[in-house]
Amino acid sequence: MLRLLSGFFSILFVTLPVCVWAVDESGAGSEQMQFFESRIRPVLVTHCYRCHSAESKVLQGGLRLDSREGLVRGGDSGPAISASDPAASLLLQALRYEQLEMPPQGRLSDAVIEDFAMWLRMGAPDPRTETAVVTAAAVDPESARNHWAFQIPRESAAPAERSANKLDALIAAKLHEQQLTAAAAADPRTLVRRLSLDLTGLPPTPQQIAAFVNDPSESAWRELVEQFLASPAYGERWARLWLDVARYAEDQAHIVGEDASLTYPNAWYFRDWVIRSLNQDLSYAQFIRLQLAADLYEGSESANLAALGFLGLGPKYYDRGQLFVMAEEWEDRVDVVSRGLLGLTVACARCHDHKYDPIRTEDYYGLAGIFASTEMFNRPLSAEAAEQDGKDGKDGKDGKDGKKKGVKPHESLHIVREGVAKDLHVFVRGDVQNRGPLAPRRFLPILTSAPQPFTEGSGRKQLAEAIVDPGNPLTARVIVNRIWAAYFGRGLVGTASNFGLLGDRPTHPELLDDLAVRFMQNGWSLKWLHREIVLSATYRRSSQGEASAVAQDPENLWLARMPRRRLGAEGWRDSLLAVTGRLDASTVGGPSIDPSDAAETRRTVYSRISRLDLNRFLAMYDFPDPNVTSEKRAETITPLQKLFVLNSPFMQSQAEAFEARLRQAIPSEDAAAVGQRIDWAYQNVFGRAATPVEVQLAEEFLQQADAATRWRQYAHVLLASNELQYVD
Amino acid sequence: MNLSLISRRHWLSRASLGFGTVGLAGLCAQLQAAEGPTGQRLLQPHLVPRAKRVILLFMNGGPSHVDTFDPKPALAKHEGQKPSEQATRRAKAGYVPSPFRFRPSGESGVVMSELFPQLSKCADDLCVIRSMHTDVPNHEPGLIIMHSGVQQPTRPSIGSWVTYGLGTENQNLPGYVVLGPRRPVVGPHLWSNSFLPGAYQGMAVNTQDMAVDKLVTNLKHPSLERSQQRRQLDLLAGLNRLHAEQRQQDAGLEAQIQAMETAFSMQLEASEAFDIGQESPATRELYGDSLFGRQCLLARRLSERGVRFVTSYYLTPGGNQPWDTHSSNDDQHRKLCADSDRATAALLTDLKQRGLLEDTLVIWTGEFGRTPYAQPNDKGKHGRDHHHSAFTTVLAGGGVRGGLMYGASDELGMFAVENRVHVHDLHATVLHLLGLDHEQLTYRYSGRDFRLTDVHGQVVEGILA
Repeated sequence: MLRLLSGFFSILFVTLPVCVWAVDESGAGSEQMQFFESRIRPVLVTHCYRCHSAESKVLQGGLRLDSREGLVRGGDSGPAISASDPAASLLLQALRYEQLEMPPQGRLSDAVIEDFAMWLRMGAPDPRTETAVVTAAAVDPESARNHWAFQIPRESAAPAERSANKLDALIAAKLHEQQLTAAAAADPRTLVRRLSLDLTGLPPTPQQIAAFVNDPSESAWRELVEQFLASPAYGERWARLWLDVARYAEDQAHIVGEDASLTYPNAWYFRDWVIRSLNQDLSYAQFIRLQLAADLYEGSESANLAALGFLGLGPKYYDRGQLFVMAEEWEDRVDVVSRGLLGLTVACARCHDHKYDPIRTEDYYGLAGIFASTEMFNRPLSAEAAEQDGKDGKDGKDGKDGKKKGVKPHESLHIVREGVAKDLHVFVRGDVQNRGPLAPRRFLPILTSAPQPFTEGSGRKQLAEAIVDPGNPLTARVIVNRIWAAYFGRGLVGTASNFGLLGDRPTHPELLDDLAVRFMQNGWSLKWLHREIVLSATYRRSSQGEASAVAQDPENLWLARMPRRRLGAEGWRDSLLAVTGRLDASTVGGPSIDPSDAAETRRTVYSRISRLDLNRFLAMYDFPDPNVTSEKRAETITPLQKLFVLNSPFMQSQAEAFEARLRQAIPSEDAAAVGQRIDWAYQNVFGRAATPVEVQLAEEFLQQADAATRWRQYAHVLLASNELQYVD
Repeated sequence: MNLSLISRRHWLSRASLGFGTVGLAGLCAQLQAAEGPTGQRLLQPHLVPRAKRVILLFMNGGPSHVDTFDPKPALAKHEGQKPSEQATRRAKAGYVPSPFRFRPSGESGVVMSELFPQLSKCADDLCVIRSMHTDVPNHEPGLIIMHSGVQQPTRPSIGSWVTYGLGTENQNLPGYVVLGPRRPVVGPHLWSNSFLPGAYQGMAVNTQDMAVDKLVTNLKHPSLERSQQRRQLDLLAGLNRLHAEQRQQDAGLEAQIQAMETAFSMQLEASEAFDIGQESPATRELYGDSLFGRQCLLARRLSERGVRFVTSYYLTPGGNQPWDTHSSNDDQHRKLCADSDRATAALLTDLKQRGLLEDTLVIWTGEFGRTPYAQPNDKGKHGRDHHHSAFTTVLAGGGVRGGLMYGASDELGMFAVENRVHVHDLHATVLHLLGLDHEQLTYRYSGRDFRLTDVHGQVVEGILA
């Protein structure tokens, strides 16, 4: 690297215009130096040094104006001065506000600019020499290659004596190392609720609980696991994790007037494809292949075209068609693919080489070129729509001006297709006007032994293959870690979408590797991975840890206990619908719904997701911003959430429904039936009997409350409780 | 500021709301436990704050600087002459002078047009920046950059940054409220928390109906009396306590219980705070009985009760950018200014009377200005087009120098030329006035520290009091 740089400099020096140096080497006339000192240097110090000197906090444009070398070397836009043609010097043009406008606070006076012109005509005499050469803090690719995440994962040796299960053995090894005592196993009631909510996103029925409590054997547990994994509710539950990563949404953050031409009213085909694929346990490798290139693998009539929504539902920005806007869109695609699938923040390298990871701007543009060679496509859903398309004489492409052309969005599937294959030039500093070297389309060099240029069309299929290549150290690790985080509240790597040098180190590197390798060996089966986790003793521990372990490891990094988890927007709303008996679980998939509508009974995964105006209920309960890929849900607790719980029509409606169920189950209004009703309510909301204190509190409340509405009020309290919202 | 100066109670009240923030090393474990599960930390102001809260008055569509605060007599001399190609790409007609007379007012002699008879009485409190400029002459990017510092809609809004940075002053009210009778162009992204935690999202309040229960959703139970609901909540709190007691110390469960109590008190406090009916007839008269007037009055009520950031959008039920005067520029400005003048002046006067102006920063701005040259109109009533290379923003209170005209556009109002202030610089300055260093107010997201000013912005020292 150093040698390369010095070679580069020597070329520069050789080709330097002679007269600049002639002035210098002759010592320059003292009058000329006087001119520099009195007319030029003060202006540079006052107006330029803040951003263009060794003292600059952030050196702007890579340009230093505090030394002769800096001026000659120039910045991102090229040398600042040209001795052969002083008038054409970039410095002068910028001062004149011709191309660049410098200084940005305001144009300097004509007199000052004339001084600079004069100085340049003199040959830019300048006594200042550079004290320290600035070089970009380049990442050393060799040492960065040693970063753990760029090593091929290896399966760990056979389980140690501590446990029969490999996963448990690796957890136990760390617990032993940290001298932590593992919590006892959770009780059967807690376990069945935990398992049901984890695998299906719904609470267990009282019957399911009773059956497992009566027979909490290992074989009963395995049966329950299979039963839940086979339920269509499994796909509905786990699809959301992927939709967060895929920044799934049905419109744009920015819609001009009533113009709906850039929206995605049929985005739900993609959502349903994800649900279906998970339920069928499509191999994760194939899951990725189809989302990046279903058209190229299976042809333009493939039944899996909806998978392309992963790219095709990406943000489209105002004034698309303009190069600087398209550059933003390509960044979105690079970002969702690199952070979402690979756990690498490649988009950081759009304007400069990555500051920490071995990713260069050429690598970014190598990927961006693939998306620049791919176009967003509204594919007609039906023959009629296609015919309409023909009549318009357009091809369904969005016009440059973003105006409606071709198939209307509501008659089409929002996917991508091949565009004109082309490589991009690096945009220096991300500036589309400033073209650097050509960056051939290809995969990230750090993840391949010998990156070959992609030459088959856009290169999407080759990209997909490179991502799911077993020699790629990241893909399996990243998805294993995401799934793990969904169970244990935190991934083995805490930064689920950043496995680079700035990301967290894995707490259990061997476990992560072992799971990743065996996941691939088991056909990239996500259901295999879920089984591996929920059949472990680690998963079945109580959330009540040993006091010493809690004190020693409050964050629970070493998993001596299960974390207590709060249900997210989906889990909580679905649980409410389930216990009030209103949940419509009859169909899987279909058009989107409004989750805060009091009359709506479908699962929350079917919510319409807007980039422009995210549903208030979802936003309030920490749903991620669907403009960008999301690695983690925030968890906020706010009074506005509680106002919703207390007063919203949605909650009223749930309380009413539960009251109706209660009255139907136990119609008697006798005083003797009060206890029965309380007990029935507890069994159906929490899956357990009420304790004597809880019965007493309930009875006191029911005696005082308004007779006509007391059961509804009581139902409301149970539905609003922490117990319903938390999983032990 | 020393940590010991903050009472634990104050701390807890913030913590229970999930407000709070950054960068305080070495907190004792007890306080950390009280933070709740959001992992948010308390922010100390980086600098001595001059303002505690912000009221942003937003003239959606872009008011004409040459008809309001930036007189350009030379336009008469050049009337009809088309600007050069270099200066603009879309001029279809020549320069046109403002028909309005400009006068200096107050002791300071701050100049504004005759369209601001009330505001001219506040001249000595105004800091008029005549050298604003932004990147693009289109509403959407202009609005987005003015609200979030970048052109593409993926970053947190300034109100979210400020509440993230400073937390709330009143735990019973939201920290960031936006007011308008309808959605402005772009819509909710303008008050989005984006990647900041959800607690920092602006609470959008539709002001078409000023009845309190219409302003704030879910603020009242449809049928239960307060005493009934209290009993219900007592039962809930009791059950939640039993639940928590059986579980190891869990800050999250405790925070949930606290949040419920806060919500209950908020019903009362917000009912009072959002009710402009409690203002005297004289005060209501001062603001004027218009949508914008009522919004400004509500903004003051919220501000004085500790809401950190209030935005009042100048919109009409039928118009999502009323100041976008592509035709009949003069007539429309006459009408719009009459309304805006009265309400803005009333707000400043009212704040001052209550001793609140000195630490409340009021910002009056649009997303850009309007062209000094005309946009022709069939009916002969010319308009003015979007103009981003020079416009005016007015500040008052909160540590800015009153009675100041800062910066200048060129002779014709085409380009900001002297002491140019970019939107980034305005943002840096607003944060500075609130005691926040715009380079230090960062949020780590996706492996990078983000800021409101991205990699730009310089505090405009010349306007600080």
